[in-house]
Amino acid sequence: MSVVREAIAGDETDDGMVERVAAGEAGKPVEAGRNVLPIVEGVVLVAALLAPLVLQDYLTVFATRVVILALFALSFDLVWGYAGIMSFGQALFFGSAGYGVALLARDLDITNIFLVLPAGTLIGLTFSLLLGGFLLLGRHPSSVIFVSLGTLTGSYAADRLARGWYYLGGQNGIPSIAPMTLGAYEFSEGPAFYYLVLGILVVVYLLCRFLVRSQFGLALAGLRENEQRIAFFGYKAQHLKAIIFTIGGAVAGLAGSLYAFHEGFVWPNMVGVVVSTQVVLYVLFGGSGTLIGAVIGAVIVEGVSFWLSDNYRDIWPIILGVLLLLVILFRPLGLISFVLGERERVGSFGAKIKEARNAP
Amino acid sequence: MANAFVAAFEILSFGAIIVLIVLGLGIIASMMGIFNFAQGEFVLLGAYITYLAYSKGLPIWAGMVAAPFVVGALGFVLEALIIRRFYAAPIVAMLGTYALGLIIREAVRGLIGGFYLTVPEPIGGSIDIGTIHISAWRFTIIVITLLVMAGCYLLLSRTNFGLRMRATLENPALARASGISTPVMYGATFAFGSALAGLAGALIVPVFSLYADLGLRFLIQGFVAVMVGGVGSFIGPVAGAGVIGTLSAALPWIIAPVVADVLVFVLAIAFIKFRPQGLIAGKGV
Repeated sequence: MSVVREAIAGDETDDGMVERVAAGEAGKPVEAGRNVLPIVEGVVLVAALLAPLVLQDYLTVFATRVVILALFALSFDLVWGYAGIMSFGQALFFGSAGYGVALLARDLDITNIFLVLPAGTLIGLTFSLLLGGFLLLGRHPSSVIFVSLGTLTGSYAADRLARGWYYLGGQNGIPSIAPMTLGAYEFSEGPAFYYLVLGILVVVYLLCRFLVRSQFGLALAGLRENEQRIAFFGYKAQHLKAIIFTIGGAVAGLAGSLYAFHEGFVWPNMVGVVVSTQVVLYVLFGGSGTLIGAVIGAVIVEGVSFWLSDNYRDIWPIILGVLLLLVILFRPLGLISFVLGERERVGSFGAKIKEARNAP
Repeated sequence: MANAFVAAFEILSFGAIIVLIVLGLGIIASMMGIFNFAQGEFVLLGAYITYLAYSKGLPIWAGMVAAPFVVGALGFVLEALIIRRFYAAPIVAMLGTYALGLIIREAVRGLIGGFYLTVPEPIGGSIDIGTIHISAWRFTIIVITLLVMAGCYLLLSRTNFGLRMRATLENPALARASGISTPVMYGATFAFGSALAGLAGALIVPVFSLYADLGLRFLIQGFVAVMVGGVGSFIGPVAGAGVIGTLSAALPWIIAPVVADVLVFVLAIAFIKFRPQGLIAGKGV
């Protein structure tokens, strides 16, 4: 027990976190209580549930968009916050799924929710598997720079392709997509759509939370902190990265297909660099590696942007840039780090181990 | 024959423009290990300063001469205040410089609005060779690019300053132990790279006209060129820029422009994947 305490009280070198992760896993939470994370999550959920009751109609439509973007932000947080893969091309999966379901609706008249959402997820999964497999796997481990620039280039190339390809509508994209249907019911903008996407967000959030708190999540956190050490432990670091990248792509695809049906149109920006960097902003603002931080970041950035855009449309992007710079310089863990301690951010992993095993 | 010559000239002049833009990016990436996302915005600033001089009634030449100095000075200040904190973490550096770029880009967008502003060519007209006409300004750009390349090469390979810069790149600890002030070298390198971007912006603004996303257009091409050429030397990024610029300009003559556009990036990424050290590996100049 004293060994564990020493490891926890140990110095704050770069190894400190890994040791604390390991210590947390060994059982025995040292400072029990003060669980801020579930409170934050609960507050956000309650606020989200109540939002349509107090918001006007046009604001509910806006809130729906924000919830979808929060889902998208979640996908980036999985990839960057947990595995440390800088995916500057997350919009590629978001947008390609959007285009995919738009084509399904336009050319094949398929709008059934049980077909289009899995299709969108599958498109995101396929593209991220291809791109991630290409960029991450191979005989030599790819450098961080290569992966980030590779994803960025992929997103940019997709943007150019979408702009120039007549079948995809060129510059204008695909307008007036038919609404998503469930039997005879049509999901149009409004509270029903809002609760649908909120439900999906909650389910995906819980799945992600389970994933990152499992043994797999522990390996990912190790990957983020010190990839070489994880490789020396015998983990196939590249495979882990490719898996989480693919999962992230699938979530982005789900978000993209919802977005396409909610907005009713898709356009080239949706696969491009603009949206790719937008999602990076959300997660950096909110706080990477916490899941809820990504959601909060999306809500704050979109909310403030919506609020300011009436009067300060021109200077808002400048303010955003300044704030982003300040966050990167002084709050690298995002706004959530004001309320969330380092210990809780790292958290504990795997199933709780019985007390008995700690007894001498 | 005449058509082939015009095509070759077009390809050459676009290649020169890409080389010019990549020079600064490559020097910063190679010498400091930072992929500067704000580089495109330094190009934009150079273009904006030229436009500003023109709109105030000054000769365009004055703006073009001032641009590299102003942008270089800005780069020096930014390095001292902000970039300096990012050296340890390349990804954070990317995000931080992205934020800087966002600020500059949106500020310029606020200043010029959503317009495409044109600046006339300081050397107008065309050079006639028999029946062939080529743009005099584009020809000037090619000449200036060659001069700047030669100048950079000589600076890095022949001068005391270049020697210290390369020493700082190869082994910062040993450079410090030898009495070279590495922070000063980093500051100077960043300012120099920014100044080159400013010059590039000033020279290309008559060709592409001024709009807020001008820099963004070249940024990704520039990154790909640096990676293809190989980080770690001066020659590498220049060679990469030559290849990428030539390919981007030449392929649309052969296949559909849309496919060509995408194909360049796909080929480049595949190339980097299988040859991560780039075209020219090694720690030469």
